[in-house]
Formats: sequence, structure tokens, C-alpha cells
Amino acid sequence: MQELFNLNNKTLYDIDTTVLITSSFNMTEDAIYFINNKAVVITKDRTNDFYEIPNELYELFEEEDLQNKKELTLIDEIKKKILSSLNSNQKVFVFMNVLTYLDKPFKEKLIRYLKLTNKKMINYTTEIEETLFLDYITVIYDNKVIMEGLKEQVLQEEKILKKLGFHLPFIVELSNGLKYYGLVNKVYFKNEDLVNVLWK
Amino acid sequence: MEVANILENKNQGFIYGLMGNINLTTNYNNYSIITGYRFSGTVKDYLNSNKDISSLKMVMLKEDILNKHASELSIGDLKKISLAKALIENKEYLIFDYFEKEMNAHEKEYFKRLWKRLTNDYHKTIVIFTNDITSFWDIAQELIIVDKYKVINTIPKDKYYDFMDDISKPEIIKFIDLLKAKNIAIDYYQDPKDLLKAIYRLKENTL
Repeated sequence: MQELFNLNNKTLYDIDTTVLITSSFNMTEDAIYFINNKAVVITKDRTNDFYEIPNELYELFEEEDLQNKKELTLIDEIKKKILSSLNSNQKVFVFMNVLTYLDKPFKEKLIRYLKLTNKKMINYTTEIEETLFLDYITVIYDNKVIMEGLKEQVLQEEKILKKLGFHLPFIVELSNGLKYYGLVNKVYFKNEDLVNVLWK
Repeated sequence: MEVANILENKNQGFIYGLMGNINLTTNYNNYSIITGYRFSGTVKDYLNSNKDISSLKMVMLKEDILNKHASELSIGDLKKISLAKALIENKEYLIFDYFEKEMNAHEKEYFKRLWKRLTNDYHKTIVIFTNDITSFWDIAQELIIVDKYKVINTIPKDKYYDFMDDISKPEIIKFIDLLKAKNIAIDYYQDPKDLLKAIYRLKENTL
């Protein structure tokens, strides 16, 4: 894999990556690094920015209500920030623990849109369920990389993840249990896939 | 209108879930909104209490954070400090603003236990404002749904399942819904271990 970024001994590769962090991790330094290296960075900090968003994007994301809304909530602002940033020509989009605030349909549309437009995605999060979205996981604890690898490999490391305070994603935990009882023979990452194997 | 209006006529000493289209504000002295506010100066200055470190321990922080500036801290730590300040000030109402978003599973479990203690032992009223019911549905006695500070629905704990279509569904419920769509007779569970046992029993009966 080609190296995209190297910051504080973290190497981020040319692959959509979840950076799994603990609550004490201050993302500011990383955000500044990414901005200086021409990535689009989305944080939840509230600003007085004016967001220019084409009508097509509002329609594509089915967020037309946001267009003329006056009193924006935190979640509205995050959505507007994201939609306005999609106009950018930059290749890499970094989300600093903001996807966790969004509803699942919006997240799915966003990931689909970035994949379709060949943009790379880096998602910082404390939410283990979000590790299922992207292909690669880097786990940070106390500012150090504890482990990294393809999603399928990292999510096998239940003991390490639990030591760091994370549960496994629901579907991984359930398929591990079913595997133990001999009802399935591998770990699944999508609800539909596991249901279809259990009851064809 | 503000958050206190939502809680008019509500019992004190309870844990409430709150969801809806609002930005939390309050002018009441007995209310604290727990948020990742980036204050100026050090933690020690902000807390105005360099002797009482018990509140820091209660929010899973160590004493060495006292000399740090807000700019050095993560949003998760700022939220914990905001809670420590509310505990020192002994506010009656603690309103958590998307508090769980920066916490991992271990921390979420810890804070749920703390909230229960604060209501049971100290008669605090806890309000958890979130868009994700899964973080608190086992401890919140009631879920209040608002639109611009107007209460549009109040759902008691034993009715959460009936309103799942109106609120974000936990992964386990989405999974059970898929089974039900295949006409599998299965109950709703909150704990993956209980679901696992139920699936095992169902599969065993079909063998």
C-alpha cells in the first residue's frame, strides 16, 4: 500500500481507514497536520461559516429541509459542513469523530458518494460500530498505535480491544458466539449476510 | 424556551432520555449542561477547586490533569471536566449533551453506573440528550422527544420497543427485525448473549 500520511509515528495508507481512538486522544494536532497536507478535515466545532452547497447535493443526500433552515442544531451544522466540503477538489477527507453524530442513512450516502468519486476517507472515532464501514483499522491508545491492519484481522483481536475499553461490534460478537456453537463457520460483518446464512 | 421547560412537571431524581431538534440552553442556576466546552486557562482555574480531587476521580480523570490547559485536552476529557465542575457545584439537574459520543464502551458503562448512583443516592435528575437510544435505554425511565423545546412524545421505558420506528434502532433490534422478516418467532433482546442463546435454541429445535 502506498503511504499517504505520516504523522506522530502513525502511517496512513492509500486505503479507507478507521482510526479507533480513546476519549483522551486530542485530535487537534492531527487535524492541523491534515489541513497543512491539503486534506479536507471535518470537525464538530461550531463556526459562523457560510456553507455553499449546490442544490444537487441537498437532493442527493435527501436533505432539502436543511437548505432554508434558520436555527441549525449541531447535527444540522455537521451535515452542512460535510455537504459543502464535498465540493472540494481535494482527494482525502478526514472526519474527526463526527460521523457518530449522524444518522445511518446519511452516513451510508456519504460513504457511497466518496467511493463513487474516488476520494479517500479517514474516520477518527471512539465508536466501534463505525469500524465496520471502512477497510482498514488503526487503533490508537495513549497517542501510540497499538495495532493496525485490515478490518477482518483487527476485529479478531477481542482481548486487546477489550483491554483498551472497546467491545466488539454487535455483529462480530454475535457471529463469534455462533461460531463457537458451530452454527456458522466464519465471522460476519453485515447483519443481512449472517441472517441469510442462519435461515436461507 | 429552554431545557428547564421540558422538565416541568417531571419527577426529580430520575434518569430521562431526550431526543429532538434542539440546541441545549439554560439560564437556571440549578441546571448544568455537560458539554465539551473549551474554557480558557487551566483545569485547576476552571474548576476553582484544587483541593477536592474526588470529583475528578468520579469522572475517570487523574489529578495530573489539573495543570493542563483546555487547548491540550480532548473533547472527551473536556466533557468529563464539565461533569466534574457540575458535581463540585452540586447542581440538581445534570443535562448531558451528546456525552456518550466521545466515550468508548468501558467508559459508557462506567458513566451509566455513575448516573444511577447520582439519582439513587443523591436524588440528582439526569437528562441524556442524544440521537442514539442504545447508549442509555436500559437505565432511562422515560424517553422525551421534542421539537424546538416542545414535547411531542413521552415514551415510558416499557414501551420503547413500540416506538422503535420513530427513533434510531440499536444494531441488535435491526438484526432481530431481519429475523422476524423471515418469519422466525423470536423475542426482542437487549443483550447479544441472550440473543445468541435464543438463536441456539431455535436452531436446535429445527435440527
